[in-house]
Amino acid sequence: MSTENKKVMVIGGGIAGLTVAWELSRFNISVELIEKTCFLGGHAIQFCCKATDECLQCGACSVEDMLKKVADEPNINVHLATEVESINKDKKFAVSLKKSSLLTDSEKLNESGICYEESSLKGAVLRGYSKNNTPLYVILDKKICDDNPGAVPEGAVELDKMGMSGTIEVDAVVLASGFKPFNAEIKETYGYRKFNNVITGLDMERIKREKGAIVRPSDGKEPQKVAFIQCVGSRDERLGNLWCSHVCCPYALRMAENIKYKNNESEVTVFYMDIQNAGKNFPEFYEKCKLNQRFIRNIPVDIYPMEGDQLRLRYMAEDDGLPVEEVFDLVVLSIGIMPNLENSSLAEIFGIELTDDGFFAGKDNLNRTSTSKSGIFIAGTAEGPKTIAASMAHAGQAAGEVMKHLGVS
Amino acid sequence: MTNFTDGKELKINTDVLVVGGGFTGIKAASEISNLGYQVTLIENEANIGSQKEQKTLVGLTDEDHKCLQEMESRVTSDKRIEILTKTKIATIKGMPGDFSVRLSNNDNILEKKVGAVVVANDFSVNSLNDKYGLSLSDNILTQSQIEEILVSDKEKLADKTVAFLVGLAQETNPLIMERVMRTVIDINEIDGTATYIYTGNLKVASDGLERIYKEGRDKGATYFKLQEMPKISQDGKIVSYHDPVLRRDIEVSPDMIVVDDEIYAGKNNADLSEILRVDLGAGGFLQKDNVHRFPVYSNREGIFVVGPGRDVQKLQAAWMDVENAALEIKSFLGNGIKIVPDNKAVVDTGKCVFCLTCYRCCPHGAIYWAEENKAVISPLACQSCGICASECPMDAIQIGGFTDDEIKNSVKKSLDAKNEPKIVAFCCQNSAFEAGEMAKKFKIKLPDGLKMIKVPCAGKIDLDYILNTFVEGADGVLIMACHNGNCKSEKGNIYAGWRVDDAHRMLEETGLEKERLRFVTLASNMGSGFSSAVAEMENKIKEIGLSPLRN
Repeated sequence: MSTENKKVMVIGGGIAGLTVAWELSRFNISVELIEKTCFLGGHAIQFCCKATDECLQCGACSVEDMLKKVADEPNINVHLATEVESINKDKKFAVSLKKSSLLTDSEKLNESGICYEESSLKGAVLRGYSKNNTPLYVILDKKICDDNPGAVPEGAVELDKMGMSGTIEVDAVVLASGFKPFNAEIKETYGYRKFNNVITGLDMERIKREKGAIVRPSDGKEPQKVAFIQCVGSRDERLGNLWCSHVCCPYALRMAENIKYKNNESEVTVFYMDIQNAGKNFPEFYEKCKLNQRFIRNIPVDIYPMEGDQLRLRYMAEDDGLPVEEVFDLVVLSIGIMPNLENSSLAEIFGIELTDDGFFAGKDNLNRTSTSKSGIFIAGTAEGPKTIAASMAHAGQAAGEVMKHLGVS
Repeated sequence: MTNFTDGKELKINTDVLVVGGGFTGIKAASEISNLGYQVTLIENEANIGSQKEQKTLVGLTDEDHKCLQEMESRVTSDKRIEILTKTKIATIKGMPGDFSVRLSNNDNILEKKVGAVVVANDFSVNSLNDKYGLSLSDNILTQSQIEEILVSDKEKLADKTVAFLVGLAQETNPLIMERVMRTVIDINEIDGTATYIYTGNLKVASDGLERIYKEGRDKGATYFKLQEMPKISQDGKIVSYHDPVLRRDIEVSPDMIVVDDEIYAGKNNADLSEILRVDLGAGGFLQKDNVHRFPVYSNREGIFVVGPGRDVQKLQAAWMDVENAALEIKSFLGNGIKIVPDNKAVVDTGKCVFCLTCYRCCPHGAIYWAEENKAVISPLACQSCGICASECPMDAIQIGGFTDDEIKNSVKKSLDAKNEPKIVAFCCQNSAFEAGEMAKKFKIKLPDGLKMIKVPCAGKIDLDYILNTFVEGADGVLIMACHNGNCKSEKGNIYAGWRVDDAHRMLEETGLEKERLRFVTLASNMGSGFSSAVAEMENKIKEIGLSPLRN
């Protein structure tokens, strides 16, 4: 059956949304890709390469590739700085869109954990993470830019001029709205945002991507003693987060290997509960990690600031159970994947359910891309924690299900 | 966005061979048949689907089992699907779109022509009792045996203490973990039972598994996280270990001990790898742990690997793979007519001496030979890496858009520019070239005298190119490839590294400083990394001076 005149809306421009959009466009299905921020790529585009003398299969470059493919694809109409307002379900879905309020609402922005690298005009201009972002520069504060015309990057677009309001009629909708990174400020004893050299896994990715190496925020120097604290926000009964986020052990171990590779004199310690598998060759990788890194099966509770922006960690020794204190010059909180802020409102708008954990619920065990509503599909971390590879596979399945629904298989 | 000239229409075969009659293979047959293609589903054993021994279905509800049965009966009565049991592949020849397969069924040989292959062969599962130094007995059981007891003879477990050993002999995975955790919950629902689970790293990176873990503990299970294997008496009656919480040595006497399984790649995989000319990855699975292969690609066009064929995963994930493979099949086979470019990779038959070097080095199995005893490159299978072109001792192969002349002319032109020092960087289009573009766009500092030459894969970079570039007046040459394990063509970066080694030896002999030539690996998102690498070269040249080869 012909794919002409079939149109699908994909909500969310992260790796899952990009993958669904591209897969559908391959079969000449027209795609409307809706992204609430002003850049495509979601969180995963912010990740860095972690290779040592070999690739560690983190998948960060796969996101770059997919973004490039989508940017070059004429069948995909991208609407940046746009959110969903409501939907009118008759034969087709008439989805009403509105300009996103996210970036002008600093509280919402902070909560959602999105922030972008700023170029030389601090606070006035945002820059995307990838060279494949178009536009690459977005003007937040027109006045500052008008006062410094020479400094404004070529091609910069005003945020006010971005975003669309209006209704688009589509034949199916895919929710690929991604996740929210755990807000490490909730764990007050870790001093995140109070102590300079306590960073999250996401901060670490951004630093390495920008600077080419992991450096301490306080002085820009490479750290000599690094601590990774795993399961921050995940597997936490007290917070009610009864899930493993899948990605934190892989990203921490890979980053740790990278740090050791760049600077063999440095010491990396991983504080953990249970180490999860990373990649398909995990046993071999784990053996390498055990040679290079210290593993302590204990989660420190308290971090105290010290001179030189160092940090004192307090944890229970494994052998005698007595408290031990150790000084590190960089602490990385391995934060996990939380349900996105908009999940409840999106679920309400589309009439679908959330799981107990707050992610979108798949229809049944064997098909986690279909929902209880015909024509509404889910893909990626919107459905639950996933690695990049798993998000892409999930998105591929969603595309396949969409095509069956449209009757164009 | 292609370097290729328009070509001709090529009619291809649109039948598909599915290897593996478990539920993944059955689902694959179903999906592909629904797309309108003829499917031949082959299975090594005598039975498919529900009649096959299923060791790795976990967490399925009654609804799910009904769904599996329905699908199985649909597939067995589908006229577009031919099911052959006790059958395996003897040989496969030809190219994607035109594979000639010989299937063997006992002594019978069946010839088939197919356009694509989907490999869905099952895992192997083994009990790890040997690794714990234990022999199976009435009270030392495998995971499958305890599951069987729960189904057929539950009351046998009343008032019993059952100890589980999991993830201690070796790292385990969420699939095994879920089986153990569900069994633990079931046992705790029987009167008077107690369960002690001795574990290494608990693998909970799977949907809902942390909740299942909690449910077990809420129902009375005790999990002990040990750093090393407990000592167990040969009769399985005494288990001794050091308790990390109580910090004491403890001895328990369970009524039963359950040892965990290991899941590993199917026994046929090594054979299939050779027959299909598909790379074996870690653990013997039919897919390398290379991000370019995810989710369902192999190194060969037209041959896809799904589910248990490529990784340890649950049925839900295997079915995800199947739907991805179905999309790939649809995209690849289409309506049976492909437009094939003329100049993707061209063999000059006048120069070809039929040494078969190209056949051997092609990472995608895209080269074969014709009756005229000349190498032929399939335009459908070729991925334009150019490894064959640079390995060919007769320089008989040219890659569309990246011919020897085109590259040499680019180099010459780049060295005409005035800026100093002259640095030529050969950049793989999948990694370094993108990183260089990222550096440029983000206005990261790059040397004025830098010129980037794009290549389809670092494997295309001939030794000639490197030496020629110095002769033409470069002060420094960088060969910039993908990281080890990240090459789209698996080994293009390895070949490139070897050529740089060869070039280094030659440079040494001529007296030209070795530091003028560097091999660097990058990823497409490493703008800073690109900048550092080229800056380092610029600094080195400033130190040792411009090339003495320049007049």
